[in-house]
Amino acid sequence: MTEQTASDGFDWTSPAFASQLKKRKRSQLRLKLLGLSAIAIAFAMLLLLIGSLMSTGYQAFTQTHIALEVFVDPEEVDADNPERGGYRDILTATMHTQFPEVADDRAALRKLTTVLSNGAQFSIRDAVVADPGLIGQTVTFDVPVSDPYDQLNKGLINRDTPEENRRLKDDEIANFDLLKDRGMVTKPFNIGLFTNADSRFPELAGLKGAIIGSFYALLTCFVLSFPIGIGAAIYLEEFAPRNKLSDLIEININNLAAVPSVVFGLLALAVFLGWFGMPRSAPFVGGMTLALMTLPTIIIATRAALKAVPPSIREAALGVGASKQQVVFGHVLPLAMPGILTGTIIGLAQALGETAPLLLIGMNAFITSAPSTPFDSATALPTQIFIWADSPERGFVSRTSAAILVLLGFLITMNAIAIYLRNKFERKW
Amino acid sequence: MYDAPTLERDVTEAKTKFSARNVQVWYGDTHAIKDVSVEIEDKTVTAFIGPSGCGKSTFLRCLNRMNDTIDICRVEGDILLDGEDIYDRHIDPVQLRAKVGMVFQKPNPFPKSIYDNVAYGPKIHGMTRSRAELDETVETALRRAALWDEVKDRLDSPGTGLSGGQQQRLCIARAVATKPEVLLMDEPCSALDPIATAQVEELIDELRARFSVVIVTHSMQQAARVSQKTAFFHLGELVEFGETGHIFTNPEDERTESYITGRIG
Amino acid sequence: MTLFAFLILLVAVVTGYILNLRAARAIRAGGANLHSLDGFHGGFSALVTLVPTFLLIILWLLFQGTIIEALVKASLPSGTLDGLGVGEVQLLMSEIRSIAGGRVFGTPEDWKLAAADHLVSLRATSSWLLVAVTSVMVIGLIYLSRRTVSAEFRARHGFERIVHGLMVACATVAIFVTIGIVASLVFETYRFFQMVPFWDFVLGTSWEPQIPLREDQIAAEGAFGMLPVFLGTLVIAFVAMFIATPIGLLSAIYLHEFASSRVRSVVKPVLEILAGVPTVVYGFFAILVIAPAIRSFGTDLGLPIAPNTALAAGSVMGIMLVPFISSFADDALGAVPRSLRDGSLAVGATQAETISKVLFPAAIPGIVGGILLAVSRAIGETMIVVMAAGLIAKMTINPLDSVTTVTVQIVTLLIGDTAFDSPKTLAAFALGMVLFLMTLIINIFALRIVRKYREIYD
Repeated sequence: MTEQTASDGFDWTSPAFASQLKKRKRSQLRLKLLGLSAIAIAFAMLLLLIGSLMSTGYQAFTQTHIALEVFVDPEEVDADNPERGGYRDILTATMHTQFPEVADDRAALRKLTTVLSNGAQFSIRDAVVADPGLIGQTVTFDVPVSDPYDQLNKGLINRDTPEENRRLKDDEIANFDLLKDRGMVTKPFNIGLFTNADSRFPELAGLKGAIIGSFYALLTCFVLSFPIGIGAAIYLEEFAPRNKLSDLIEININNLAAVPSVVFGLLALAVFLGWFGMPRSAPFVGGMTLALMTLPTIIIATRAALKAVPPSIREAALGVGASKQQVVFGHVLPLAMPGILTGTIIGLAQALGETAPLLLIGMNAFITSAPSTPFDSATALPTQIFIWADSPERGFVSRTSAAILVLLGFLITMNAIAIYLRNKFERKW
Repeated sequence: MYDAPTLERDVTEAKTKFSARNVQVWYGDTHAIKDVSVEIEDKTVTAFIGPSGCGKSTFLRCLNRMNDTIDICRVEGDILLDGEDIYDRHIDPVQLRAKVGMVFQKPNPFPKSIYDNVAYGPKIHGMTRSRAELDETVETALRRAALWDEVKDRLDSPGTGLSGGQQQRLCIARAVATKPEVLLMDEPCSALDPIATAQVEELIDELRARFSVVIVTHSMQQAARVSQKTAFFHLGELVEFGETGHIFTNPEDERTESYITGRIG
Repeated sequence: MTLFAFLILLVAVVTGYILNLRAARAIRAGGANLHSLDGFHGGFSALVTLVPTFLLIILWLLFQGTIIEALVKASLPSGTLDGLGVGEVQLLMSEIRSIAGGRVFGTPEDWKLAAADHLVSLRATSSWLLVAVTSVMVIGLIYLSRRTVSAEFRARHGFERIVHGLMVACATVAIFVTIGIVASLVFETYRFFQMVPFWDFVLGTSWEPQIPLREDQIAAEGAFGMLPVFLGTLVIAFVAMFIATPIGLLSAIYLHEFASSRVRSVVKPVLEILAGVPTVVYGFFAILVIAPAIRSFGTDLGLPIAPNTALAAGSVMGIMLVPFISSFADDALGAVPRSLRDGSLAVGATQAETISKVLFPAAIPGIVGGILLAVSRAIGETMIVVMAAGLIAKMTINPLDSVTTVTVQIVTLLIGDTAFDSPKTLAAFALGMVLFLMTLIINIFALRIVRKYREIYD
């Protein structure tokens, strides 16, 4: 050993070391700041995402209506056949009474009625069909206005834009302002967003069909994937011998969890629709497709929950002479249930937001009535968002944001339930 | 139980290196170290003994502020290194840890080559100006850790490929390479077989010529073999501190006596 | 009718259960000692009835449509189908179907009306047959299982064997799904390559899958070279990874090394929210906010920028992948033993040095695995690109240009009516095959790296 005695020590107080240390501290600070700014960027993006959806979406939760005094003219409506009445003419006449100064020519009058939604005539028709006694009377109807006027009333049309670049001309705006001054215009909560199905007209389009479609699809998905997933997980975790087959199944499940969702859509299109001839656009088929995708999630979550149950419980039950299955179904599974449910809800929440496979089996069709069974054609919430995002009308922008907020609302609720379950039933062994 | 002759050791220089006064440590709500005061001398091997959970490792980790890395840990009282409070605001833990090296219970070589393991400290502290100087530092450290002859031909092979005893000596070399003034050892032999243990113990005795060594051990034989001073911890308190020979032959506190005769622990 | 069959099954299951339960009780009351509990005798009967009958009904429902259709086709006057393409036959069949459903347009030929009548009657027959077969089967099974009840019969073993079999069946569903995916892709891709030469697809540099509008156009006239589509996918995935990797890694490093546990407990769930947002929402975000922003920024700089740039789609996809990479990197850093960190800090390294010189290199395999999985996600991601990327395939690597991706083409080719005989539809399956293989290879590779890495430190 080379002897170097006490001169061996390093001079920790030297200025060289001090400046070196300063530099090192600076690079430490730099890394810290970089990390912080990375997180800040992620946060900012989330805020921007939520903020932009909120700011465009909140407008769609209200809808401008006009309260009209409508005279249901017996000359236009035949009491024996109220479905086939001239409701459009009735509305034109009603608008004419509001603006008597407008000349009695078709084009001018038609222009007046564009204030009203195209659906206004149908809501009057439905009321008259329900109660033919209305014929010949003057009734007050609260009808939605058409999209451009809705936008105007919500302040989304800038009155300072030159007239030729504006969707509503000066006289149209003046007419609407007149109606407003007469106190006929209201802006109530947009119930139609939840009670109407899809429509070509933004002011009438609602999410009822999509919500019901999503519900049926998720129900199907749950009914299929929950029992199969639990069965598979129990087998793999508790019964499967360590052999080639169980290895193969295991690798399979891990890989399935990472297969792009659009490939599941291709599978559904080729097998469910092509080979088995199942109906297009049906929530049932959508649910089957989603079940295939949710299966790996449920299996993985269930296995984790089963693993968390301590072996002492199994040994205790086996020790009193229960069979392996009695132990698993009687003791282990109930204890693992909260964990399994949590995983299942999270899997279903993912399925609820899944879009691509549903597009491929045709759940992006334009359907104006809500499905009454899982086998009817329908859309789902995410595909409805896709359809609306593709629509050129201005009114659909805020509807899309609103639909997204509704979807996010469902997702947050599901995740909150999952977190609640986890916290409430989480057990420390 | 232990060899009586080894107890007679001369303590050449009685210069105080560390001086701890009324040190208290809390882990969250647990009071882990209760009012410990101790003086640790330079160029001496000091052993901390006591039953598991008595706080000896915790106290050791206070000496180079490794407890800082644990969120819930809180240290009170004064710990002076050469008269300077190491918990003072202007003391930098980074600099402190370079001066007060540490070797852990389980050998923890980095997944790098043997050379890079030893060169790690000198490199980050910028202690060398040239490659040749670095080579020399590495060689010196490996020689001091009594590992040079075994690894000089394979400095580029990974440190994790060495045997357990070699790994631990590599970790000692890594700690020695930054030329520390104090070397803290947290049960350095507990994961080693008897032969490797003997090698490391021999090494500790050599290191004493250069550094002050503080070693935590649960083996009383080891404490008796390698140390000049011994501190006995029990339930977070420092029960007794003194010459190793004295503690082992004439313990003043009955808890110490119970422990070394095997009644507690 | 189908519902009725299920109802019969339900009643039968309950009946079988009760019959066996009572029989077992009677034997017990007679003083005998039964091997199994009464409930197992009942459950045995219920399962013996349920499983095969349920399977029968499902198979019946799956195949009755195809079989009935084949019968109707066979009954058509000879010669009607001669010389018709697959598409035309499909059209004819759907016309017959809609006549059978009562939606008659114009005045169809008599033979079509006859075929429709035939279809209706076949359907009715099938329904009745299903109910009849179900009833007979159920009664037989109840009878058989009722006969098993005896003191010695090991009903529990029988019951558990069936349950075990059911669980094995559940576990193999995963394999069948994979087989289904591979089979459907291979089958349709094979048909595609009968129309478009394999090398034209793999090495072609032009992708213009227009449908032939007139009869005289040959189907193969559309160009099906996958290279530009493939390149576009890579460009967008690259942009996404370029954004997601640094942000994800840096935030993981901060969370793992610098953040207090309180900050962690806030930041991690927020990042998880980012991961839980459906991709269709990201797509809308891209067209609503990001694409216009990039565009106006470009105009300010005087750059001509396409409305649907690869940059817009890619950067939004990058945001989506941040939490994915971050959590993988966090796990990988967390898997590095604490002792290495202590060892580095103990020689006086700063936290930054410990991270960058010890922890990060040690965690590299895990991190690389996570990044690879993220790449596979970026390649397979559909909705963001469908909404925010372009439709025209271009051989370009300029992220400010509009490019298209494999997934965009799959979706656009298959949205709307799909006939399984046009190369346009089949091309989507060929692209799906490419996508499946690409992601599969990356995934297997990544999962292997991650697993190997975990083994080192476990």
